[in-house]
Amino acid sequence: MAIIEITNLKKSFGDTEVLKNVSLSVEQSEVVAVIGPSGSGKSTMLRSMAYLEEANGGSIQIGEEYLVKDGKYPASAKIKQITSRMGMVFQHFNLFPHLSVRDNLELAPKLLKQFSSAEIRSKSSDLLNKVGLLDKADAYPSNLSGGQKQRVAIARALMMSPEILLFDEPTSALDPELTGEVLQVMRQLAEEQMTMVVVTHEMGFAKEVADRVMFMADGEFIESGSPEQMFGNPRHERTKAFLNRVL
Amino acid sequence: MSLDYLWQITGPMLEGAKTTVLLFFLAIITSIPLGFVFTLMVRSHVKPIAWFANGYIYVLRGTPLLLQMLFICFGLPVIPVIGEYLVMDRFAAAALAFTLNYAAYFAEIFRGGLLAIDKGQYEAAQVLGLGRWHTMTRIVLPQMFRIALPAVSNESITLVKDTALLYAVAVPELLHFAQTAVNRDFTIVPFIVAGVIYLFMTLLLTLLFKALERKFKFE
Repeated sequence: MAIIEITNLKKSFGDTEVLKNVSLSVEQSEVVAVIGPSGSGKSTMLRSMAYLEEANGGSIQIGEEYLVKDGKYPASAKIKQITSRMGMVFQHFNLFPHLSVRDNLELAPKLLKQFSSAEIRSKSSDLLNKVGLLDKADAYPSNLSGGQKQRVAIARALMMSPEILLFDEPTSALDPELTGEVLQVMRQLAEEQMTMVVVTHEMGFAKEVADRVMFMADGEFIESGSPEQMFGNPRHERTKAFLNRVL
Repeated sequence: MSLDYLWQITGPMLEGAKTTVLLFFLAIITSIPLGFVFTLMVRSHVKPIAWFANGYIYVLRGTPLLLQMLFICFGLPVIPVIGEYLVMDRFAAAALAFTLNYAAYFAEIFRGGLLAIDKGQYEAAQVLGLGRWHTMTRIVLPQMFRIALPAVSNESITLVKDTALLYAVAVPELLHFAQTAVNRDFTIVPFIVAGVIYLFMTLLLTLLFKALERKFKFE
């Protein structure tokens, strides 16, 4: 059963139609890579899923629940409950600069009081260990490299135990030699059966880790398929042209 | 000139400096929160509230503090009918003027601090499930104060020096006693002593804010 079901999603900024008619279905534990030229609407789609953008039409269903149904949103408490099932990782990390690495992880769970302090502490240690940054627990974000920041951001998102992780170009702001450490963490999450939607320019990752690759241009999905098919034998002219440019 | 003389003139000046310091603390403690309230009002989605706050800031920043002080101290009491209810102790009137005036400056400083906070901070807070209150108190305000700190430091040093305006409404403070001694003894020394006392006060403030900036460096 699909855990994410997007149907006919529409979004405009003023007169510009950014998402024309986007539909996407993601299965539990699936890793979907969304590729496409800048300005094609990839990020807007992802941001709509996290309610960082409000759609103008269409539906987004998470499990059984509708975040938006035919362009109509439920009450804000409901929206909050649905979006809490998703974590998001941003291109520019968006770590809280005034908090230590550990406090970045622990702030939200502590404020939302879903777990005891001891549980939160042990979870943050586990997750920092998992992303290889336990020794940086007391450091501030300003003292970390880009790759380290992004790994902290992933750990912070995991603190909320999301069922789905959304990645908005997670390696685009990194120096090339630092993308590997972030992709490694993402690869590990994929192996652990995390459901992931990854907007990316990292074709290597899409090829290697994604179960499915979707190509978006001008606010619509043009073509989708397995990585082998998409990279080996793309059908659509626009997909071919795009892949020729980036590969 | 003897040490005795220095001591003799410094005594009253330090006595006057108490008034200076009192006004400083009253003004800073009241104008910072009030300024932040105006910052929030300027950003309000309710247009009349934003207009009022913008108008307030424009008027209070656009006219001299001295005028505002005289307005409250000597202007309000001569308004027909209600004037008699608006008579205030001169020090209280001055303190009120300082608070209202500095609140306008702090409002602008804090607004600048808020503008400097990246949109991504709000988005990260939202996707982590933080509500508006927690986002404001735990994410936005700490960063805003850090960004505003150098400007707040600057403003509070200006405030120390502006307390000399009390002279104009004849509330005896540091400068008043210096002027009295200069007139009486026909010497420039009391002015120099007054300058040194002001420098000492601003030095303390400078050191305090430097320490705060170090403490909140987030490194």
